[in-house]
Amino acid sequence: MADKMDVDAVNGEKEEETVGPAPDLPAERIITNNFNLINQAVDAFDARFTLRALRNISTIRKAPNFPEAIAIGIRTAFPKPQNNARRVLETMLPEQYKNVQNGEAAGGEGVKDPDVVEIAEVWAYLGVLVQVYLYDTQQYKKGAQFSENFVEKVRSFNRRTMDSIGAKAYFYYALFHENLDPKPPSKQSPVIDIRPKLLSALRSAVLRKDAETQSAVTVLLLRNYISTADITQADLLVAQTQFPSSAANNQVCRYLYYIGRIRAIQLAYTQAHSHLESATRKSPTTGPAAGFYQQATKLLIVVELLMGDIPERSLFRQPALEAALYPYFKLVQAVRVGDLQAFLKCVSANEPQFRKDGTYTLTLRLRQNVIKTGVRMLSLSYSRISLHDICTRLGVDSEESAEYITAKAIRDGVIEASLDHQQGHLVTTAPRDAYSTTEPSEAFHARITALLGMRDECVMAMRYPMNKHRQEIAEAAKARERERELAKEIVEGEGDEEGEEQFEGM
Amino acid sequence: MADNEVKQLISHLDTLKPSTLTQAPQLLSRAKLALLKLHALVPGAQTSPQHLLLAATVLEYGALISIRLKDTDAFTRYYQQLQPFYSLPAERWNSRVGKPSNQSKVTGLYLLLLLSVGDYAGFHTVLEGLEMSAGKEQMEKDQFIQYPVRLEQALMEGSYDKVWGETKGERVPSEEFGVFSEVLITTIRSEIASCSERAYPSLPISNAKNLLFLDSEGAVVQFAQSRGWVAKDGRIYFPQQEEEMLAAEKDVMSSSGMVIENTLGYARKLETIV
Repeated sequence: MADKMDVDAVNGEKEEETVGPAPDLPAERIITNNFNLINQAVDAFDARFTLRALRNISTIRKAPNFPEAIAIGIRTAFPKPQNNARRVLETMLPEQYKNVQNGEAAGGEGVKDPDVVEIAEVWAYLGVLVQVYLYDTQQYKKGAQFSENFVEKVRSFNRRTMDSIGAKAYFYYALFHENLDPKPPSKQSPVIDIRPKLLSALRSAVLRKDAETQSAVTVLLLRNYISTADITQADLLVAQTQFPSSAANNQVCRYLYYIGRIRAIQLAYTQAHSHLESATRKSPTTGPAAGFYQQATKLLIVVELLMGDIPERSLFRQPALEAALYPYFKLVQAVRVGDLQAFLKCVSANEPQFRKDGTYTLTLRLRQNVIKTGVRMLSLSYSRISLHDICTRLGVDSEESAEYITAKAIRDGVIEASLDHQQGHLVTTAPRDAYSTTEPSEAFHARITALLGMRDECVMAMRYPMNKHRQEIAEAAKARERERELAKEIVEGEGDEEGEEQFEGM
Repeated sequence: MADNEVKQLISHLDTLKPSTLTQAPQLLSRAKLALLKLHALVPGAQTSPQHLLLAATVLEYGALISIRLKDTDAFTRYYQQLQPFYSLPAERWNSRVGKPSNQSKVTGLYLLLLLSVGDYAGFHTVLEGLEMSAGKEQMEKDQFIQYPVRLEQALMEGSYDKVWGETKGERVPSEEFGVFSEVLITTIRSEIASCSERAYPSLPISNAKNLLFLDSEGAVVQFAQSRGWVAKDGRIYFPQQEEEMLAAEKDVMSSSGMVIENTLGYARKLETIV
């Protein structure tokens, strides 16, 4: 059977390229096809082939014979059973798939095949598959141990073609440790132990100009810090490092989300809002990524409320988000009306949901927003209202509080009014005409610059195949030749037949 | 041995009267030296529960005493030194020997310190960390932590009379918190003053006295003068020119330069697109 696989693998490479993803191929075929993709990637030094190989991990991990397929893949890549590399991988798989070999222990690094140059990436790819398998079967302890050695090995290789595979390896490494007991946010969690490892990986990635690993590890570190509530450390990391601009879109989304989280906790709501908005815009909205989109949108809604803006209703109607965002919808309604009682009820009713999303503490801060909105509603609807009435409507405890609250609201620019202390009234002043000021043009300017910036980014992000421009030049030269000939013909034609003759145009 | 020395010093610190508080820093440095000899100043993996308790107790006393001496830098330092002790898991503390008793007090004091200097970001960061490690129910029952939380809520809302009420005698959990009351009152007084400037066209002095929580009309006049308000005929008049200034800024005519610059920019960008 192994021989047949070999033959098919050699013939199948062309198929894989032209036909595209074939979901009904058996898992082992896909794995062996990917070997050829990876070899191609190393030859052409083009990362896109490796990415394609990594892309169908999500399909093959669902196949029922996944461990079997991995075993077959290992055997195909390393036909010699006493190969050390092969043994490392096989020990992770369950018993019945292993070929038990009382093998001659190869000294040191072990005997590798003659064409070892390509095989290193293939070995790394298989290692990632093993990690996926261990994670799916929830063997977290084993997976954590394996990942530790695996990640060290990958780092020692220092091969640029292995970058994307290495990034995935780090991802699963961190994921395994997150699932070990005691889980975060306990301070004893093993995730704290992997921080030094991740930091040194980040250092090497930056030194080697390995953008993929750099972005992946930065994101993992941020996640690590936030999970144990070490916000100051996360903030320092962001301040000291640069996120590579050539990172993959998925990593950029995650990075923006985590930064948005940090800023929201630090009360820098405007910054948080812009980051989270970019995160939601860039993130894919369907498929398995829908979960991320939901989380990012939830955080975005809370931050918008904290800034004082009300999120649009259309946001809640999107089919992917409707069910998940329901508690937030209720929250928005309570804040919009300025009803303190409804707000408190909503918060206490949905407390477990908010805790799970990590937005509970932020939601508690919304209390003053509710009050501010309430005050604003009152000032819009009444030209004069007594403080006693304000006190009852807002649900505050005393008239004095109401007085102080309204005074603060006036100072913060929430409402345009003045207080009459002796009579105990709030008197609203007529609103200024906004169009006579520069406010509209400033708003327009902000939007225009944002859109122009986006357009520039898109133009820069367009990709052209490498040699196309030479073809273009050739074509342009040919076109010019043709034009010149035609022009000559016209001139000659006009010269010969002057006057009445019909113009035989081109 | 160093053990006994530390125990002696702790009992000495216990019995300190307020008048003899200045001796405390000396005693504390001696205690810290003794702890260093025991390798207990920083909790390591081998430190025994008794030593952990001794170290934590010494540091907590240090923290509380520096508050009484109004030394905020020292307090912050002690707090940072206590952090590794507080983040140890429950198993390290032997149930016979006991846990440090003042953990929530010290944390509450630190939160209050952050509030009084106006570092709301730091306040919320620490609160997040607490919420994650302690859980909501424990925090709600904890008097020392709820006090700064309540204060912060009242401050952000703007109900300064609640803040005033909290800092008065009975509601304060312990005397160390009382040290901060003065600072807080000054803060809210300036807040109220700036709010009143915008909100009221003018105020009678007696009302101002109540609003600002001042004791006498003389104090009101003094305060008004320090803020640059005009006081006559028993009323205080607030300066109004800020609003006109703002209005002038938004005037269209004066910003025509801006408009021209922006429009030229748009034209240039559009050229590249079309």
